[in-house]
Amino acid sequence: MVAKAAIDAVRAAVASVADPEYPDLNIQQLGILEDVVADRSSIRVDLVPTIMGCPALDVIEQDVVAAAQASGHDVTVRFCMSPPWTPDRITDDARKILAREYSVAIRPRNGVTSCPLCGSTALQPRSDVGPTACRSVEWCPNCRNPVEVVRSREMGQK
Amino acid sequence: MRNWRNIGEFEDFLDDGGIVEPNDDIPDPYRKAVFRFIEMHANSEYMGGLTERDWIPKAPGLHRKMTALAKSQDEIGHAHLLYMVAADLGIKTREEMVTDLLEGRTHFHNVFHYRVHSWTDQIAVAYLVDAAALASQQAVFKNCSYGPYKRILRRVIVEEGFHMRNGEEMMLLMARGTDVQHQMMQESINRWWLPSIQLFGPDSKPDDELLRWHIKSERNEDLRDRYVQKFVPQLLAGGFTIPDQDLRQDNENGKWKISDIDWQPLMDTMRNIGPDSSRRISDAKRAWYDAEWVRTALDDATKAQA
Repeated sequence: MVAKAAIDAVRAAVASVADPEYPDLNIQQLGILEDVVADRSSIRVDLVPTIMGCPALDVIEQDVVAAAQASGHDVTVRFCMSPPWTPDRITDDARKILAREYSVAIRPRNGVTSCPLCGSTALQPRSDVGPTACRSVEWCPNCRNPVEVVRSREMGQK
Repeated sequence: MRNWRNIGEFEDFLDDGGIVEPNDDIPDPYRKAVFRFIEMHANSEYMGGLTERDWIPKAPGLHRKMTALAKSQDEIGHAHLLYMVAADLGIKTREEMVTDLLEGRTHFHNVFHYRVHSWTDQIAVAYLVDAAALASQQAVFKNCSYGPYKRILRRVIVEEGFHMRNGEEMMLLMARGTDVQHQMMQESINRWWLPSIQLFGPDSKPDDELLRWHIKSERNEDLRDRYVQKFVPQLLAGGFTIPDQDLRQDNENGKWKISDIDWQPLMDTMRNIGPDSSRRISDAKRAWYDAEWVRTALDDATKAQA
């Protein structure tokens, strides 16, 4: 049986893996790290992709394996589709960094999205997807910046 | 809204690290310069996205196809954001910018005036060209005085860095591949080395307004030199040669020195008469008008929702 200490060490090591698209944030803050599980002899890291067909998955997998190795453990990575990733999984700290560093807002489940730069709630939709499939593009008429909004992955839901 | 009594006062503001925002009373010459720069960047992202798109059906394997798809989306998305910021400067509408591009009246980066002949050319673009573009964008971002542009660059740089990592991985695969693959990669390096070097442009003029107004933060020749120092050893380590007979290494400081550059090819691309310019522009034009129905349908859907 894999010792609990080993699982904890892997969890600590892989939690700090930087996200390829937001290098200031790690996969734990973004809610991509779901769990670290072990059976008799091996350790597996379960990750939840933010969106199907995300092109960054390979890079995240490589980085997770390397981080675990650096802590002295070999792991396998499994991408799970359940539970589904939603923007709710992003931590509050991460939201502040997304707004400040990347002009990226998170669409709240209820209520209006506000501009991550000036707080205006008058955002105008411009396109359902932007440079990445997980963000839509909006225009803030108040501070006159284009901003991106992390979408929920359910189809038809903005 | 902030305003400045004269250009001198404005330049002092910029020299102190001031960031210009759209609601400021922006001096006209600065507005024009920053507009031209962003328009060129937007055009280049757009043309780059179309190049990438050509390889979606031809990419070897599902994996590479997904990457090509994501990269096309990145580039077109970047163009989308940049055109929004450029249009907001009030000099041209977005439609005018697109029309000017498709009619060959405006410009885009030299590297998109060449034909991508093979999959290894595509790798050379991802590895050499994307790296050159990234280096120049990083230099702009570092000290960029126009707020909305700086904010877009922040995201563009991260995404381009991701492309470069991908290009590096593919290049190393070819470097360690069969003799045929290695040879193919070498031929592509031979084709793309000089255009990548020229992407940085000729030496900056002493009175370059882009530098004075902190739109750019580094001189072209400095960026070019740093690129050479980084990529010459990398290519040599991969077992490749550099297509430059006069390339030499300084015995004392170990720095690489490339031969004098013939700038005529760059000048040709700036007049849209490069080797593949006319095909590229007409292809972009066809793609634009072919997609007219999509834009109409999306506009109609938006109106129906409202």
